[in-house]
Amino acid sequence: MDIVVKTAGEDLPSRIVQMFENVINQGHGSLVLVFLIGIIFGGIIQYTRVDKFEKIAGFAMLKDTIVPKMLFLTVGLTSIGLYFLIEAGGAHYHIKPILWQGLIIGGTLFGISMAILGKCPGTGPVSIAEGRIDVLIGAIGGLLGGLVFTLYYDDFFQPLMGESSGKLTLPELFPGNEHMVVLIFGVAVTLIAIVIPKIEMFDEADLSKLPDDQRPDRK
Amino acid sequence: MNRLPWWMGGILMSGLLLMTFSIFGADRPIGASTYVPYFAGIIFDLDPEKYTYLKHIANSGAWEGVMLLGVLFGGFIVSVFLTKTFRLSLIPTGWKKYKNNSVVSRLLWSFFAGFIMIIGARLAGGCTSGHFMSGMSQMAISAMIFGAVVMIVLVITGKLFYKSEEI
Repeated sequence: MDIVVKTAGEDLPSRIVQMFENVINQGHGSLVLVFLIGIIFGGIIQYTRVDKFEKIAGFAMLKDTIVPKMLFLTVGLTSIGLYFLIEAGGAHYHIKPILWQGLIIGGTLFGISMAILGKCPGTGPVSIAEGRIDVLIGAIGGLLGGLVFTLYYDDFFQPLMGESSGKLTLPELFPGNEHMVVLIFGVAVTLIAIVIPKIEMFDEADLSKLPDDQRPDRK
Repeated sequence: MNRLPWWMGGILMSGLLLMTFSIFGADRPIGASTYVPYFAGIIFDLDPEKYTYLKHIANSGAWEGVMLLGVLFGGFIVSVFLTKTFRLSLIPTGWKKYKNNSVVSRLLWSFFAGFIMIIGARLAGGCTSGHFMSGMSQMAISAMIFGAVVMIVLVITGKLFYKSEEI
């Protein structure tokens, strides 16, 4: 993504060094750990192939369900584990506020673009690393989107997001029954992941490289 | 076949999220869209003192920026050595099948989608990683609203945008 460096002038390297210094000093894991988290994150996405256009746009067309199955399973398992990790003092909550306008307008733009691009901001870089030039063009569009958002944040985007209705979690709605709510939520979401029928859209370009008896579409 | 099954992916991703959340890891959630305006600030040389939003995302943007470098590295290594899917391409097979054969069309739509994707994610305050995975794992109501809106709009767009009835 560092392709557009022409506009940056001479001190671009120093701004990048500041990014590393910031991470070293902010106390959210060492530089190596953060980099490692990225490697594992990208590695899992790549190795499960959920960054593929056929998986994400395929889900938008309801012709592939690997992405929702994996997402719901991740959420179901993590919700139970995380709740008890927090209870035991091993982690903290990082809840985002309810900004109705921002969530609905933002979610709508996000849903439209996710269906068209067939990527999201986490899977996109994995596809770029895999050589997908169309996604690189999407990332340049995203960079300009980030620029516009930053430039007009005060005047336009922040008012558009609306007032915060506070930070709220599901267990907080059921005082006294928090443990039960967490278990029901975690188990229900995990079950959803299992129950969603497995449908797959395949990419002929990938399949053609496999021997006949290993092709998942012929099994 | 050179890929992990979805359930293995879910278990591994869950382990990574818990490790990242824990005080022995990074003591924060995983997010993957704040780095974009952060990089825009670096590349277009915006003064962080002048822009409220850059001040706001100084720490999380830097954190995700370093993580992103790992994502690119991890994605590249796995695509070359494990999945063996590294290749330069301009247009996905599924796009040819359900949309059109035009590279120009794919690139223009990609650029447009990338542009509104980041504006959408920053308006909502998160993306698939920050809201859907990290937020819903904390059972945050904000993440559930986002997840529901995205899923509904995603499927409607898929229906209207692609010729999915054919074949």
